[in-house]
Amino acid sequence: MEKLMEILMEIDDSIDYENEKALIDDRLLDSFGVITLVSELEDAFDIDIEASEMTPDNFNSAESIYNMVKRLQEN
Amino acid sequence: MAYQSLVYGFVFLPLCLIVYQIAPQKWRRRVLLVFSYLFFWLLSGKLIVYLLGTTVFVHCIGIWLEWLRSEQKTELASAERCEKKRIKGIYQKKSRRVLAFGVLLLLGTLAYLKYYNFFVGNLTGIFGSALPFTLEEKKILMPVGISFYTLQAVGYLADVYWGKIRAEEKLENTALFLAFFPQIMEGPICRYSDTAGTLYSGKPLEIDNLTDGYIRIFWGLFKKKVIADRLAIGVDAIFGNYTSYSGAMTVFAAVAYTVQLYMEFSGCMDIIIGSGQLFGVKLPENFRQPFAAQSAAEFWRRWHITLGTWFKTYIFYPVSMSGPVKKWNQYGRKHFGKYITMLGTSAMALFPVWLCNGLWHGARWSYIFYGMYYFTLILFGIAVEPLRDRVLELLHIGEKSAGLKFVRIAKTWLIIFTGELFFRADGLRAGIYMFRSIFRNFDLNSLFDGRLLELGMSRADLTAIVVGCVVVAVVGAVKERGVHVREALGRRPAFIRWSIYYALLLAVIVIAAYGDGYQAVDMIYAGF
Amino acid sequence: MKKIKKIILFMLIFVVILWICSTGIQLVVRNVNGSVSGRSRVFASVSAEKKNTIDVLVAGDSESYTSVSPMDLWDQTGIAAYDCGQPGQRIQETYYILKTAFKTQSPRLVVFETNTMFRDPGMLKNLQLSLTEPLGFYFPVFKYHNAWKALFDGPGGLKTCYKGFEIRDKTVSYEGDENYMKETRDKTEIPEVTRIYMDKIRNLCRKNGADLLLFSAPSPVNYNYKKYNALKEYAEEADLPYVDLNLRYRDIGIDWRKDSYDRGDHLNIEGARKVTEFMAKYLTDNYQLPDRREDSRWKEWNELAESYFKELEQCVIL
Repeated sequence: MEKLMEILMEIDDSIDYENEKALIDDRLLDSFGVITLVSELEDAFDIDIEASEMTPDNFNSAESIYNMVKRLQEN
Repeated sequence: MAYQSLVYGFVFLPLCLIVYQIAPQKWRRRVLLVFSYLFFWLLSGKLIVYLLGTTVFVHCIGIWLEWLRSEQKTELASAERCEKKRIKGIYQKKSRRVLAFGVLLLLGTLAYLKYYNFFVGNLTGIFGSALPFTLEEKKILMPVGISFYTLQAVGYLADVYWGKIRAEEKLENTALFLAFFPQIMEGPICRYSDTAGTLYSGKPLEIDNLTDGYIRIFWGLFKKKVIADRLAIGVDAIFGNYTSYSGAMTVFAAVAYTVQLYMEFSGCMDIIIGSGQLFGVKLPENFRQPFAAQSAAEFWRRWHITLGTWFKTYIFYPVSMSGPVKKWNQYGRKHFGKYITMLGTSAMALFPVWLCNGLWHGARWSYIFYGMYYFTLILFGIAVEPLRDRVLELLHIGEKSAGLKFVRIAKTWLIIFTGELFFRADGLRAGIYMFRSIFRNFDLNSLFDGRLLELGMSRADLTAIVVGCVVVAVVGAVKERGVHVREALGRRPAFIRWSIYYALLLAVIVIAAYGDGYQAVDMIYAGF
Repeated sequence: MKKIKKIILFMLIFVVILWICSTGIQLVVRNVNGSVSGRSRVFASVSAEKKNTIDVLVAGDSESYTSVSPMDLWDQTGIAAYDCGQPGQRIQETYYILKTAFKTQSPRLVVFETNTMFRDPGMLKNLQLSLTEPLGFYFPVFKYHNAWKALFDGPGGLKTCYKGFEIRDKTVSYEGDENYMKETRDKTEIPEVTRIYMDKIRNLCRKNGADLLLFSAPSPVNYNYKKYNALKEYAEEADLPYVDLNLRYRDIGIDWRKDSYDRGDHLNIEGARKVTEFMAKYLTDNYQLPDRREDSRWKEWNELAESYFKELEQCVIL
């Protein structure tokens, strides 16, 4: 989780990731933020994120991102 | 039988509603399917074979993908840990091939029907007699709605491939998903996960759905028949004879066409979504006050939303997550820094989206131009964003300031109107001519010296257009504040509520452009 | 249940509103000349005629009102006729224009120009017309809804209308085959929708005590022997008298170089007067229609005839 927070802060440090639950729905993260995030995540956690994972549900909060990463690591 | 016709709203729909309600729950989806095919057949006759063929094909591919998935599962269950990755790889390859086969055939059919003549025309235009073979343009009949149901079909297959949904097992369900009559002609482009639930449930009709649905249908009729069909007269007059107009008149034409297109398309959407609601089917919204957008990118999140979403889901993300783009992303950030990398990624992912957006509307250079126009503007918007933020900071202008909002909306309107001018113009050359003519003898007076009345719209027509637009704008502003208009009305006393409904009905009956002196105007988007 | 009751109440009130609007709009339409233009104009104008003053109604598409001139008929015989045709009139419209006319008039004869009988705009359009026409009949607000525009645009500058007839003084010769009625045994199919509505029209006329006469105006563009055969057969089946002027256009003196308005589609004023002269004779020979010229209730007709002939004098053709 800490590693994730680091990555998130690097993309945009003005967002309160701890409490924000609608990163995508409120457009705090735009499409390019998400894409950058994805490639960072892939590097950091050695996972493969497919286009099918690109749903608001997966990216709306730090927690949901973390869950997605964990799920993909287990596979 | 267009959606705005009397026969659709007051014969076809009621008949379908009655049969639907009488039928037992299990049969209701079949009722919808039969009526959908009847509808399609009335519009396109024999061309229904395209729809039937697509349906069977998509259904089979879906099941094939699903079967591969279950095979993979059983094999994985019994496999050793080290074997798992290999098995996954094999199956991924297989299903990717199946998906590619399905998608290519679907898009190939669409491309052949839509672009064959364009392709041939341009090829012979460029190479002339130098070609070793002769290609002739053919008269190709396109089944209605093919641009819409093909996208739905592709989206469905991709969703099955990604494992987001399970493939539909019943052919009749796949058929209904693709052919549901309210949306077959001009969308909204639905995702399986959006509509399948309510579409197949066969729930009995509900009175609230019926009243709300019909109110929405009348609201759509108001937009289409009171405003759009009137504007069509003036718009056709100017665009049809564009060399005779310049300056403010051309600007008027661009604005008038944009308004016409919005009233027409969103009005038809109201009729369509209202029709769905009658049966308790929730179709996705296609518009969200597009003229309140503060940038070109935001405009496209509010205008023809389902098309934008489709491109985003099935083109933008897959492209931006594809190998080359990812590699560029890593390489770029090491060597060029964040800004350049992001710009490059954006360009690579956005280009196909906007090329497809242009092409989707039809095989014309002006549509391709239209797509590239938005590609350039949106990319430019991304490029100047850091600079703009810094300037705003220096000037101490907050993001939320009303003045800034105003300027942004005005800028966006300018972008929209210019775009639609090229979109409507009869070919790219005409578009360029019209755009340049704006700067020739620009005189605002030409709008008030009676020349507008020579376009075929009388004073009464112009009055109806203006009043109609004000009504739609007020409703839009209320919605923009997050008020659900229908529910808000429900909280008013019955007297006020009913008066508003009566006013709406009477406006459609009395003021709408039908009968003497008016021609029925076809739905624009049904032609794409 | 409560909700259903509410909806029914809503609908009932709406019907009342429609009825009130219809009554109001009819008042406007009858009293403000020119508030209705286009296809509905004749519906308004025939309703605006003085009660029970029309003895002959001429219905049909443009072939009807370009070939019978009520003012000439009046001048020659004193028969009070009215042209209630519309451009491209559909059979459903024929039925409802007659129904509208019968509300205030009790004509003894309906002359129906047959070209309308071959129009078949397809199932959907037929269905639509079978809905909109009764709707417009029972709730005229649908038919005359565009009258509100007169508020902003002022009454439209319409050409003077002589009991449904306008003077067309242009000549564009017909230069095609003069023998366009080539004998054959083939028949053009009469569409089903025509047969259904012809039955309704016959019943309507019978109920209102009016005779029905089928009549084909001379028009090389619209008629041929196949249509003639079909119409003759239909007239026999339905026991209706049928007059065709395409076989006999020479007898009444039609000259296609001079009498055509638009290359043999419609007649101009010259041609119309020739046909009307024939009709005057035919009607006096076959029907007992009253001569109203001396009757004071028809005083306006004499005045209108006067201005008709004055306008004719100004026409270049004469």
